[in-house]
Amino acid sequence: MLRDITIGQYYPAESAIHRLDPRVKVVATFIYIISLFCFKQLSGYIIAALFFLCMVKLSRVPFKFITRGIKPIIFMLIFTAALNLLWTSGENVLIKAGFITITAEGVKKMVFMALRLVFLIIGSSLMTLTTTPNQLTDAIESLFKPLNKVKVPVHEIAMMMSIALRFIPILVEETDKIMKAQLARGADFESGNVIQRIKSMVPIFIPLFVSAARRANDLALAMDARCYHGGEGRTKMKPLKYKKKDIAAYLVMLCYICLIIAAGRILPV
Amino acid sequence: MNYMSIKLQNVNYIYGIGTGQEKHALKNINLEINDGEFIGLAGHTGSGKSTLVQLLNGLIRASGGTIYYNGQNIYDKLYNMRDLRSRVGLVFQYPEHQLFETTVINDVQFGPKNLGLPQLEVELRSFKALKMTGIGDDLLDVSPFTLSGGQKRRVAIAGILAMQPEVLVLDEPVAGLDPAGRDEILGLLKKLHDDNNITIILVSHSMDDIAKYVDRMLVMNNGEIVLDGKPAEVFQFEKELEQTGLGVPQAVKVIHQLREAGASIKGKPVTAEESASAIYNWLKYS
Repeated sequence: MLRDITIGQYYPAESAIHRLDPRVKVVATFIYIISLFCFKQLSGYIIAALFFLCMVKLSRVPFKFITRGIKPIIFMLIFTAALNLLWTSGENVLIKAGFITITAEGVKKMVFMALRLVFLIIGSSLMTLTTTPNQLTDAIESLFKPLNKVKVPVHEIAMMMSIALRFIPILVEETDKIMKAQLARGADFESGNVIQRIKSMVPIFIPLFVSAARRANDLALAMDARCYHGGEGRTKMKPLKYKKKDIAAYLVMLCYICLIIAAGRILPV
Repeated sequence: MNYMSIKLQNVNYIYGIGTGQEKHALKNINLEINDGEFIGLAGHTGSGKSTLVQLLNGLIRASGGTIYYNGQNIYDKLYNMRDLRSRVGLVFQYPEHQLFETTVINDVQFGPKNLGLPQLEVELRSFKALKMTGIGDDLLDVSPFTLSGGQKRRVAIAGILAMQPEVLVLDEPVAGLDPAGRDEILGLLKKLHDDNNITIILVSHSMDDIAKYVDRMLVMNNGEIVLDGKPAEVFQFEKELEQTGLGVPQAVKVIHQLREAGASIKGKPVTAEESASAIYNWLKYS
């Protein structure tokens, strides 16, 4: 049942992308997203798509896992596309019916905007597919460390993030178990009107909240028992260290962004 | 004569199909459980025990194979799955985590109410179940969350008993209980089996518990049933049991060690008492 939901959606594999320092992946994803807004013509899209395909090939993640990320935003995608299509004014009017005017510029903008959104989503899902949630929080903690100077509790935020991520599968499993236990007692979650269905959730939510509170309490005690006192002076078991391939990856990203910007200035289409 | 049984034919179960992390939890299980049996299901963590018991009342659907309950295929389109769930009661591990009502009696009534029984019948069954599990009348109207661990466990088990299932499956019902609480619950199961002729399937990895109570024992390893038979027979395979990470009850171990040292002890004793009398006989007549 609920076990089939993949949150955090890490895809385990042995690949060059998986082995990169998570900081590189976070920064690279950020650069890629920025690069999507650096061009206006077709050639830019082709370069961005080719670059992305190379990365997917390198990561050894099956393509269907990557496209799966688009499903949840399909509604937003259609909405944005429709807005762009209807609200873009231009000279080449294709259809004019009442207050609806569709222009060639509008169609072009719609296609490009939708493409941009798709690249944005699948680009970031490639990062989450190749990086474990723990690596991701490590990377964020390390990248945001300078903010400590302005009294932002970076370590604490990262710790909360990793605890929250750690608890998602536990709570999903717990929900699954409680649901099954209540199903075994003849509970019915599927029939009835909306109010009956909401009411039928009570036997799931109360045990779930009780167990979440119990787990949180246990964890707090366990952390306290190990003298956890926040980030000050705390060292890591596996500190993040840049290696040669990470530098190389940064260089690849630098080349890519230069290429995109250059293409935007030089190429006519 | 309506002969009741559960029959599994070539049942397979695979977790996480299509996620890249597939796990073959059950491999080609063929099993027949007859009416009125008291079965012990043993196996170490991850051997597929919990998956197997969830299949029995249709909470999860086998990836392949068929399951028959009283001769009817439970995967038939017309089969009433909710009816099956009322006949095959499943008590999960740590069942006290599923309590949710404001009072003990309300919580126990949840199951029978879902069966659509008249209120009087619901109350009657609930009181009976609570009495069987040894929950006193003074606790009926308190919140289940204020009870002790052992009491909560018994209330949760009462919640299933109140549905009066024909087959009762319990996943590690005594995990985390003290010896007194453990004997109480296992004694209750024995009594249920003897008095009401309920089929009981007890999942446990305590060989001592299994030895003492069950008539038939199944041992699982890596998603397969590797041993099936009377406890006395199964415990002869000490080496195999140790390889699956289970071992044999202490009393059986003592007998095996004595035999290895040259003692000619007769019979196949399983419990501590049986072993003691077997050793006594050997000392007396040899």
